[in-house]
Amino acid sequence: MNILIVEDDLDTAAFIEKGLLQHGELVKHVASAQEGILVASSTEFDVIIFDRLLPNMDGLDAVKVLRASGILTPIIILTALGDTVDRVDGLNAGADDYLVKPFDFSELYARLKALTRRKPISKVLLSLSLGDLVLERTSRKVIRAGRQIELNTKEYQILEFLMQTPGQLVTKTMLLEKVWGFSFDPKTSLVQTHVSRLRNKIDKPFDLELIKTVRGCGYIISDE
Amino acid sequence: MTIFFIASIFKLAHLSSEQQHELVDYIEEVQSLYDEDGLQTMLTELDLESKPIWNKKQSIERLSDHESIFSITQGNTLLVGSEVDIPFEAKPIWSYLDFDNGHEIKVLVYSKVLEDTLLLKVAQPNSYESGLASGVLVNVGMFSSFLIFIVAFLISYFASFRSQRTLLDIKKQMHIISNSPDSSRLSVKSKTTMPSEFASYTNEMLDKISALHGTTKTMSTGIAHDLKTPLSRVVNRLQSMRQDITDTQAIELHINKASQDLNAVISTFNNLVRLNAIESGKHKQKFELVNLSELVNDLALSYEPVFEDSGRKFSHSAVDNVICFGETDLLNQLLCNLLENALEYSSADANVWIRLQSHTSGALLQVGDDGPGIHLDDQPHVFERFFRADVSRSKPGNGLGLSIVKAICDVHDAKLVLLPNQFGAVFNIEIPVSSTPL
Repeated sequence: MNILIVEDDLDTAAFIEKGLLQHGELVKHVASAQEGILVASSTEFDVIIFDRLLPNMDGLDAVKVLRASGILTPIIILTALGDTVDRVDGLNAGADDYLVKPFDFSELYARLKALTRRKPISKVLLSLSLGDLVLERTSRKVIRAGRQIELNTKEYQILEFLMQTPGQLVTKTMLLEKVWGFSFDPKTSLVQTHVSRLRNKIDKPFDLELIKTVRGCGYIISDE
Repeated sequence: MTIFFIASIFKLAHLSSEQQHELVDYIEEVQSLYDEDGLQTMLTELDLESKPIWNKKQSIERLSDHESIFSITQGNTLLVGSEVDIPFEAKPIWSYLDFDNGHEIKVLVYSKVLEDTLLLKVAQPNSYESGLASGVLVNVGMFSSFLIFIVAFLISYFASFRSQRTLLDIKKQMHIISNSPDSSRLSVKSKTTMPSEFASYTNEMLDKISALHGTTKTMSTGIAHDLKTPLSRVVNRLQSMRQDITDTQAIELHINKASQDLNAVISTFNNLVRLNAIESGKHKQKFELVNLSELVNDLALSYEPVFEDSGRKFSHSAVDNVICFGETDLLNQLLCNLLENALEYSSADANVWIRLQSHTSGALLQVGDDGPGIHLDDQPHVFERFFRADVSRSKPGNGLGLSIVKAICDVHDAKLVLLPNQFGAVFNIEIPVSSTPL
């Protein structure tokens, strides 16, 4: 991926850059909103990481400028302001995702991956499949190795979300946001409990385990 | 004294009107004498048979002796009586006669046409009785004014003395309060000079300030415990890392533990930020109609397996289509925090429930468990920031969960109550509902 980081805090920028370089991504870092707008308008990136609190200009205003000038590159906002209202403001300004500082690098990376994978075509896919697992979106049927599996609403939503980005990390926070619509962390094993039940239905009766746990981070669905 | 004064004024008015009537009667009599027996008889009756002419000085003398003056004129010629120009009045009327030296005399003036051009005019001074009464009245007035002045002076002196004593009282009591602001209050007893309303309002204000002070103290303690403890552990971990710098496995363990501790600190901060944001009311601009019944059912289904895995029995019931005006995310957190609380503090085999029912003035939401509940002493404090019944703070959490619940209820104008006399912790929330369909 070719990624632009707009962040005035050099430590945070270095931390993100190092992580991305380790994953073999291409990174360009600028420290001001004006530079960010300039670079984003002249070069094509796969995703832009925009800090919210920048000197001289609010990151949200910069995002509005970019969107107004027709730049459709996915943008993730980083912020120290963590409340839902701020989050809604961020999304209304045209950002695609919103991450509260401090964050785990794996959380940021998982979100970047999800953003770049979110091609419009995946939205209209009527079925998602991975190995011998098929998820039919119209009938909400889940079939593995020819056997239909009964899932409750939450289990189905978790599986659908995982299958949209196979091989990519999906964090607990991402599931809470996408499946439950929570912007807060309920502290318990809510996500773990539901993923564990999903696993019992999807994986336990079969030889190959599709849903893998990345300790302390989240889950990956993959048939490798 | 005042009553006597007022009564005297009435009496005086009565006397003057009586004199008017008497004068009319007398002149009527004189008229009839003239009509029946002629002018001479009439003059005799009036003691004017010698047909005197009184100059101004003589007229004044007569009036001063409380004697009437008369004038009988024919055309413009004075036949008999006073030279003083008595005004013509068809009805008896009180008037002032002007004399050259600026001397004025109050008289009752009355005129009567005896025949064609023959005119009788009378000027009668105050009767002796009336003069006496008005003299007495002036004296009484002066005396009572003096008395009123003395009384007013005494009252104002006493009032200022009293208010000065009140101020001294307040000063003294304020000094006592400043030494022990949480326990001392102003006395509201009637025997003190301080107005009891002032004392109760001041006490109310002091109570509120004490409560705020208490919250700040609890918060400081909370921050000290919840932030200092994990930060100290991180410092220890960093020291251990220096010692184990060559042992990769040990370093990884230290990093994991340090991260856990720092995450706890950040979570506390996030909750504080969240709590302040909720309390600021800025979420209100995002309020919309929310189907509370669906929200409760959804959450119940999500939490059912969590409670089941923990060994507790979980049940839920919700009436359909309860619509309220609020924010889904906040309402979700409200219920999650209460359910998390039940999960954390109820006994391992407890029954936990969530219910949504119609209520007289809205909807009634209840989240409860059947034991062991919250200790009676702790119940009044459960919604305070950083309050934890577990003083050792050994269990995870930061004592902000129920404060957030309270703040969410407040922003939704909902009434939150921890029900007393229950086996477990049972929270009732009365939420105003919207009659508008979704």
